[in-house]
This record gives sequence, C-alpha cells and structure tokens, in this order.
Amino acid sequence: MRIKDSSNVLQKQRNRKSRSLLVFHEFENLPYLMLEQENKKVDEHEAGSVALPKVDRFGFVKQEANSPDGLTRSRSAFEYEREERKIRKWRKMIGVGGSDWKLYLRRKPHVVKRRIRKGIPDCLRGLVWQLISGSRDLLLMNPGVYEQLVIYETSASELDIIRDISRTFPSHVFFQQRHGPGQRSLYNVLKAYSVFDREVGYVQGMGFVAGLLLLYMSEEDAFWLLVALLKGAVHAPMEGLYLVGLPLVQQYLFQFDQLVKDHLPRLGEHFVQEMINPSMYASQWFITVFSYSLPFHLALRIWDVFLYEDVKIVFKVGLALLKYCHDDLVKLPFEKLIHALRHFPEDAMNPDTLLPMAYAIKVSKRLEELKDEYEKQHGKVSDSRIKQKLQQLNDADAALLQSEGKQICE
Amino acid sequence: MASSGNKNINSKLVLLGDSGAGKSSLVLRFVKGQFIEFQESTIGAAFFSQTVAVNDTTVKFEIWDTAGQERYHSLAPMYYRGAAAAVIVYDITNQESFERAKNWVRELQAQGNSNTVMALAGNKADLIDARKVPEEATQTYAQENGLFFMETSAKTATNVNELFYEIAKRLPRLQPAPNPSGMVLVDNQSPSERAASASCCS
Ligand SMILES: Nc1nc2c(ncn2[C@@H]2O[C@H](COP(=O)(O)OP(=O)(O)OP(=O)(O)O)[C@@H](O)[C@H]2O)c(=O)[nH]1
Ligand SMILES: [Mg+2]
Repeated sequence: MRIKDSSNVLQKQRNRKSRSLLVFHEFENLPYLMLEQENKKVDEHEAGSVALPKVDRFGFVKQEANSPDGLTRSRSAFEYEREERKIRKWRKMIGVGGSDWKLYLRRKPHVVKRRIRKGIPDCLRGLVWQLISGSRDLLLMNPGVYEQLVIYETSASELDIIRDISRTFPSHVFFQQRHGPGQRSLYNVLKAYSVFDREVGYVQGMGFVAGLLLLYMSEEDAFWLLVALLKGAVHAPMEGLYLVGLPLVQQYLFQFDQLVKDHLPRLGEHFVQEMINPSMYASQWFITVFSYSLPFHLALRIWDVFLYEDVKIVFKVGLALLKYCHDDLVKLPFEKLIHALRHFPEDAMNPDTLLPMAYAIKVSKRLEELKDEYEKQHGKVSDSRIKQKLQQLNDADAALLQSEGKQICE
Repeated sequence: MASSGNKNINSKLVLLGDSGAGKSSLVLRFVKGQFIEFQESTIGAAFFSQTVAVNDTTVKFEIWDTAGQERYHSLAPMYYRGAAAAVIVYDITNQESFERAKNWVRELQAQGNSNTVMALAGNKADLIDARKVPEEATQTYAQENGLFFMETSAKTATNVNELFYEIAKRLPRLQPAPNPSGMVLVDNQSPSERAASASCCS
C-alpha cells in the first residue's frame, strides 16, 4: 500500500542520516510546526499593531470597497435560521469528531451526496473534507510521519517553494505576513510533500491547493489531504497533474476539448475558428482545481463536491461556465474571447446558479470513452513507470476501501 | 492615435523565462503601468494585449505570458510557435535564471523560425547591488546570438516601454520588404494572428 511504500522511503532516508539543514534561515528560530494554527492566526492578528485591512468573509483583502463576494450581504433572520438548522443536521450526521460519519456514509450515501452538493457548512468544512477525502485515515495510520518530513528531511525544491510562498494568495491576510504563520505552514506542507514524493516534488499550482486547505485545517491535516488526493485514497490519483510532462493535465484538456464539442457544438466550432484550445483557459482549472481562478466562495463549493465525487465536477463546472456565457462567447473574436474565458461575469459566480447547472451535465460515460481514446492516440501512458505506479496505487485503494472501518481503529 | 492611412498590425509575442524572473511583472508594467510587489505566480499562461506606435504604424502586441517553472515546459511550445516576437526574461540577480534564458534561446533557435524577433531582458535591474549576471558579458552573448538585449526593471519601469518599442521596430513587417512577392508572413502559423487580423486589419 502506498503509505507503507512511503514509510519505507522515509526509513531509508532516516538511515542515511539526513541533515536537518533548513534553507529557510529566517524560520529557524521559530516554532516550526504550527498544528494549532487557528489559534495562532488570531494571536498574530491581535499582536499586529497596524490597522487591520478590510477583508471579506474568507480573509481576502478587499480590492474595492463593495466588492461583492456573494456572501457578505447581511443575512435575513430566515436565512440565519436555515443555516443553523443545516449545521445541526450536519453535526448529527458526522457525530462527535467524525465518529458517526462512516456509518452514515454507508447507510445513506445519496443523502450525503445531496447535502454536500448543497454546500458543507463553513464551520464544519475542514473536518468534513478530511473525512470524505480519506485523509483522516491516512493521518491516523501514519503518526509522526509529517513531523519527520518537515523537520528532518531536506528537499531539492526548498528554494522553489520559498520563491513562491509570498506569491500564493498574496491578498489573503493569513498568507500576507512575511514569515507569518500562514507562510510558514504553507512552506512546511509543500516541503513535506516534496520530500514525501520526490518524483512530484514541488510544482507551481500546488501552493494554491495547499493554501486553500490551510484555511480550513492544520498543516498536518492539509498535508495528508494533499497525499490523499494525489495518491488517490478514495478516487483516482491526481499526481499526474504535477508529474513531468503534466500527463494528466494533457489528458484532461483533451477530454475537456471533446466535451465542449459534444455539449456545446456551436461554441466548439467557434473555438476552432478562433483557434482557441482549452489549454489557453482551462489548464489552471485542472492544475489548481479552481482554487486559482475563481472567487473563493465558489471555489469552496466546488471543492466540497470535488472531494466527495471526484474530478468530474471540474469538467462539469467548466462546461457550466461555458454554457452560462454561451450566447456571449459565440459572438466574440479571439482576443475578447480569451479575456471572457478568464473573467466570467459576476452573476455566473453564484454557486447556487452555477452548480445546479453543472450537476445537470452528464459526463461520466463520455469521460471514460475519451480517456481510452486519448490513451490510444498518445500511447498508453501506462507503458511508463508512472502509470504502473498509478495502477499499483489504484489496487491499493481498492484494498483500502474494502478494509474501510477497520482502519480507524488500527 | 491611428489616423487614416496608418497601418495597424497585430503581433503575437511570447514571454519565456525562469519562474520569478519577472515576466508577469514586465507585462503588467507595460500593459497597465503597475507593479505589484507580490505578483501571483502564473499557472498555465495568461494573455494580454497592448499597442505601440512606431512612426505611422500601430503595432498591437498579443502577449502570452507563460509559467516559468521547468515542469510547465511542455505547455510552452503552443505559445511560442508562430510568435512574431519572443522576450526571454532572466533576473540579473540570479545566475541560474540566466542559464535558463540561454536554454530558451537555444530551443527557439532550434525551431528555426528566423523571422521571430528575439529579445533578451535582464530584469530587476534596480537590484544593482545584488547583481550576479554581468551586463557586458550578456551583451556579447546577445550580439553573438542575434538577440536584442536590454536590462529592465518592472519595478521602476526602466526600459520596459522601450523594450517593447524596440521589438516593434524590429518586426520584419515594419522593415522595408526586400522582396514583397517572396515575403513570408512572420506569423503564418499563428492562430491568433490570423483570426485577429481578419477582424481588424484592412
Ligand atoms: N526588485 C524587483 N523585483 C521584481 C521586478 N520584477 C519582478 N519582481 C518581483 O519578482 C517576483 C516575481 O515576479 P513575476 O513577474 O511574478 O515573475 P514571473 O516571471 O512571472 O514568474 P512565474 O509566473 O512564476 O513564471 C515578484 O514578487 C515581483 O515583485 C523588478 O524589476 N525589480
Ligand atoms: Mg508570471
């Protein structure tokens, strides 16, 4: 199983007596692991002497005075009540610290799916994400591993990571402060992952994924969620997004291109005429699972579904965005088209409009077909070491899922 | 700006270079006149456009700003293929970024499109005290390789507009055509070019 593999790797490295040289010198004297970062965030904040910047509900510094994030509007008493009821239902569903979750999931998967599609309550999001991604199990099965990776291992990617730290969500208060808790935990998670999987290492884009996670959980939890996603704890592994040659990005773009032609033929034709291909606008959708390019409140709702239902939702949301703007897009020439594909209108960014549209688009079967087609055209990636590894991991997943329930007690 | 009788041309331009060299910052300075201290890293690629007037011609640059990390290399060809101009950016305080720049030059040269105007930009020229890449040696390198070279600073705006202006001046279509009938369109492979020029040039 993958985690055993990685622990073996770790073991070997430990035996090689790796130095604990920390390139990030400024960090040396600071408490390294910030497992209690929620509290720290508040502390740092209060310690800061400067007037706090105006931020939205998620902590992003507001550009304009009234930049609507779709959620800052004051809520009516009715909405408030409804939200409270929703939270109560969710609490019941997951139990204390997630204790009832697996049972509920087995009994009523469709209820879970429906509720997740409506959005996980923000106050429970971090916990639920860990439950549905399988990362909680990984964490429990691998005590001490994260600490080991962060403190004792060195990574070839350290300088690359440092270069990007202040360029990841630079408008978020948590990540803004130079060497502040946000930047430190982001560095730690990315470094730990780059050691955990040296073949992937660090790739630009991972920072936005890790950053999004860190706003909802501790760095150790975020690390394991990253592992769960890239190694495929519940769904197909996604490390191909970041491997040399970005093989999975290439495959997804191929699939998306075809899906556009299937579902929105007129637009597909227009794209061909204007010589626009999905690489020009959608590569970042896949590479960061929308955490880079969409407003945060919408990205979160997509992530709720993504973690439970798999990458299909990225295709669906992508198609829904194009569908929503279809009648405008088909009229635009190249340059305006590119611009429009990067700056979707405000009203398209409402999750309660966009997501139901996305859910209604069926892609599963076609995605499978297109994957086969892609593999035929481009030579099965499985000839390579990488794909073999992915397959092994897939098998491990099956085993993992079968032994579900036992793990948590191990 | 463009009065009747003026020529309008569109030119696809691509920015290449190591991550953090300042590609996005140069574009932002050129297109919006801004500089952001903590510029988000570019994922995939980003598109911008800006016009430059050279004598009686207005050159509209259609700019692709690419992601610099080596891992993204496989996405780059579609942006430099058919480009009329390529700006290869390095950071004068980072020797490695200069080595990356030289690799890009080699790669573009290997593509064999001799019509592409290639410019080398030694960015972050404001950080003179931290300089690692000497200016004179680079100048020599640039001359040997037929590159137009300038040190720039996206931060202070030094040489940014100048860089793009000089590139515009060097575009083959702004040069007197020695043999009009045999002239090859610099961008004859460029999708955007064809699409866009059809809609705006007469
Ligand atoms: N001092 C100084 N800093 C600069 C200059 N240009 C860019 N920077 C800084 O260098 C960092 C990287 O700049 P970017 O423009 O994002 O670099 P890039 O080449 O686009 O990087 P990628 O998108 O990762 O490929 C930013 O934090 C900028 O503030 C400059 O001329 N002077
Ligand atoms: Mg950039």
